[in-house]
Amino acid sequence: MEELMNILERLYDMTAFSNIIAEPQFLIMYALAFILLYLGIVKHYEPLLLIPIAFGVLLANFPGGEMGVIQADSEGFVTCADGTRKIIWEMPLHDIAHEFGLMNFLYYMLIKTGFLPPIIFMGVGALTDFGPMLRNLRLSIFGAAAQFGIFAVLLVAILMGFTPREAASLGIIGGADGPTAIFTTIKLAPHLLGPIAIAAYSYMALVPVIIPLVVKLTCTKKELMINMKEQEKKFPSTTEIKNLRTLKIIFPIAVTTVVALFVPTAVPLIGMLMFGNLLKEIGSDTSRLFDAASNSIMNAATIFLGLCVGATMTAEAFLNMQTIGIVIGGFLAFALSIASGIFMVKIFNLFSKKKINPLIGATGLSAVPMASRVCNEIATKYDVKNHVLNYCMASNISGVIGSAVAAGVLISFLG
Amino acid sequence: MEFLGLAIQLMVVGMVTVFIILLIVIQLGKWLIQAVNKFAPPETVATKTVPTAQTIDAQTMSVLQAAINEITGGKGHIKKAERL
Repeated sequence: MEELMNILERLYDMTAFSNIIAEPQFLIMYALAFILLYLGIVKHYEPLLLIPIAFGVLLANFPGGEMGVIQADSEGFVTCADGTRKIIWEMPLHDIAHEFGLMNFLYYMLIKTGFLPPIIFMGVGALTDFGPMLRNLRLSIFGAAAQFGIFAVLLVAILMGFTPREAASLGIIGGADGPTAIFTTIKLAPHLLGPIAIAAYSYMALVPVIIPLVVKLTCTKKELMINMKEQEKKFPSTTEIKNLRTLKIIFPIAVTTVVALFVPTAVPLIGMLMFGNLLKEIGSDTSRLFDAASNSIMNAATIFLGLCVGATMTAEAFLNMQTIGIVIGGFLAFALSIASGIFMVKIFNLFSKKKINPLIGATGLSAVPMASRVCNEIATKYDVKNHVLNYCMASNISGVIGSAVAAGVLISFLG
Repeated sequence: MEFLGLAIQLMVVGMVTVFIILLIVIQLGKWLIQAVNKFAPPETVATKTVPTAQTIDAQTMSVLQAAINEITGGKGHIKKAERL
C-alpha cells in the first residue's frame, strides 16, 4: 500500500498540478492567455499577433514544460539546472537549447539578436504604398508631432521610478509600432519585453476605441467637418507628379541614404522598411523577392516573434508592479501621441488659410493603416462626402519613419 | 529625480531630431518630384480596348465549340455568340 502511495505521489509530482497548487499565480497567467486568445479569435483584435503571443504565454507557464524564456541578470548570468551559473552570451546556441529548452534557443537566436523586428519591417515596407505620402508631402510633418507621447511618457516614467532605459522602452509604446517597440526594448530593457509587447499590440488593436475617445475630447464638430477636397479646390497645390512609378522607386533609396547619414541607429528599421518597399515598387523584376518578403518570410517571422514574445511572460516576470506601470504608461503614451498630432494641426490652422482636418494629425502615430481607416470613418460620420483616407495615410506613413527615428535617438543615447 | 535632466534632454533632442528628419524627407521628396518631372519621361496611361459585341476572337469561338461538342456529343453548333 505504501509503495502504491509512493508511486501515486511520484506521478503527482511528475504532472504540472503540484507546481500549480504550490504557486497559484500560474492560474492568473492562464486566465490572461485565455483572454488574449478570446480577443484575437472572437473579437479579431490583431489576430495575427495576439494569437501567437497568447499561445506563447500559455506555453511558457506550464511548469516543467521549459518553454518560458529565462532572463539573464544585469551581468548576463543565468542559473543552469545543475545550479551552476553561466554567462548566457558565452553559451553556444546548442547549449542554450539543451539547458533551457527550445523557446530559449529561438528567443536568444531570433529576438535577443534583434533579428526579427527588422525582418518584419521589411514585410511592412513591402505592403506599404508611399504614393499618398508623396502626393501630400506637407502633411507628413504631423508624423513628427505625434511622437511627442514617446518622450512625454519617458519623462513621466522616470518620475515614477523607472530607470532611463526602462522609461524609454515604455515610452516607445506611444509610437504605436509593434516591431519598433520590440526592437527598442530588446536593446534597452529586454526584461520588460513581454509586458511592453503586449501593451503595444493591445493598444494598437484598440486604435478604433482610443482615437475616437481622444478626438472627442480634443476636437470640435466644426474642425472635424473641414473637407480636405474642398480645401484642395480652394487652394490647389502646385506640384504635379508626372512619373509616379519612377519616383516611388527612387524615394526608398534616397530616404534610406539620408536617414542613415543622420541617425545610423535607425538603419535596421528604416533600411529594411525601405528595402521591402523597393522590392514592391520595382515590379515584375523583383516580384519573387517581393512575394517572399510580404508573405512567406513575414509570416514565419510573425509566428516566431509572437511565440517568443509571449514566452517571455512567465508568471515570475509578468506579475509585478512594473507591469501595471507599463499598462498605464503605455496608454498615456498612446493617447498623448494622438493628442499632440491633433494640436499640431490646430496650431498649423491658426496660421494657414488652407485648413487641415485635425484627424490628419491624429494619424501621425504609426498603426498603419488602421489609424487612417478609423479617422476616415470619424470624418464621414460628420460629413458623408468628406473622405480623408488618402490624406491620413500621408501622416500615418510618415509616423512609421518618425517612430523609427525616435527609437534610433533613444538607442543612441541610452544603448 | 536624478535622471530628470536626462529625460528633458532626450525629449528636446528626440523631438527636434524627428522634426528635422521628417522635414528633410519632405524636402527630399519635393526635390525628387522636381527631378523626376524634369528628367524622367511622363508616365503613359495604358488605355484598355473594350471589346465590342462583334469581337469574339477565333480562339474563344473554338473553345466554345469544343465545349458544346463535348456536351452534345458533336451534334450542337454555334449560330451566334455575343458578349453581354
